[in-house]
Amino acid sequence: MILPYLAAVLLALATAYSAVVSFRQKPEEGSAEPSWIFPEGAKRPTRIFISIATLLLLVALGAWFSINARNSTPGSMRFLIPEGYSGWVRIEFEVPDATALLEEAGQTVLRIPPSGTLRTSSPEQYGWVNNSYGFYSRAGVRPIPDSGPGKLIWGKINGEASGASGKRKYEEFFVGTQQQFKGQVEGAKSRD
Amino acid sequence: MLPFILYFVTAVLTGFHLYTLLSFTLYGAPFNLLELVAMLGSFCLLIAAYVSLFSPRTAGQLALIACLAMWCFYGPAIAKIARTRLGKPAAVSQFYRPSVALQSA
Repeated sequence: MILPYLAAVLLALATAYSAVVSFRQKPEEGSAEPSWIFPEGAKRPTRIFISIATLLLLVALGAWFSINARNSTPGSMRFLIPEGYSGWVRIEFEVPDATALLEEAGQTVLRIPPSGTLRTSSPEQYGWVNNSYGFYSRAGVRPIPDSGPGKLIWGKINGEASGASGKRKYEEFFVGTQQQFKGQVEGAKSRD
Repeated sequence: MLPFILYFVTAVLTGFHLYTLLSFTLYGAPFNLLELVAMLGSFCLLIAAYVSLFSPRTAGQLALIACLAMWCFYGPAIAKIARTRLGKPAAVSQFYRPSVALQSA
């Protein structure tokens, strides 16, 4: 968290310096030697060096972005929730003794138990992910709408909780109608 | 070389900080126009860094404008932090010590 303070201090310095440079009297020709603090432009070798360094920096940044973009393919998560379940669903990631998440047809499948809490040793996925939701039962899987008027997925949050076993990343969302979700939220508020 | 280093480092640091703040809008944080203005300021400061290699005075004027644009965001932000840290919490209710009045017979 030192970055904002460092940025503010440097900004103050840059403001003061630029103000002095802008408003100070222009020295007459040959009357004063340019000092290191107020130089009269950079020499040719310095300009060439800075131009090459900038070019190299831009090339390195471009390469880094393209490699990152190639490696981080958008993930896709499929949440399977027990049929008829209504309430908060919680997924805890990086739990040491828990099982890893399954991959099916390029999708990460999260099968939520009837308790509503799933613990997994797999890490949380970041970036643009394409999530889908479904109710599972013996009859099969039927999709759950997560947008539009019949939406049943609400209040999705990601967080990090610290406890006796260290920090743990988790994800939560509510399954139910808008009315049920509002009732939950208002109930929680009145308890606080 | 000094003005180049000063403007360049300031522009990179403030730019990265403001980019981080602006990226929070993707996660639902409210958009702050001053952050965008300050981000443009840090971009101008980056240009001023390169101009300083040729004309330090012009670069200084450009850098000053850029810095003032950035203070639009950093000024109120610092004031808010100072007010939060230094301000005393207001008492919700005042405490009165109960006093027992002893009546002499």
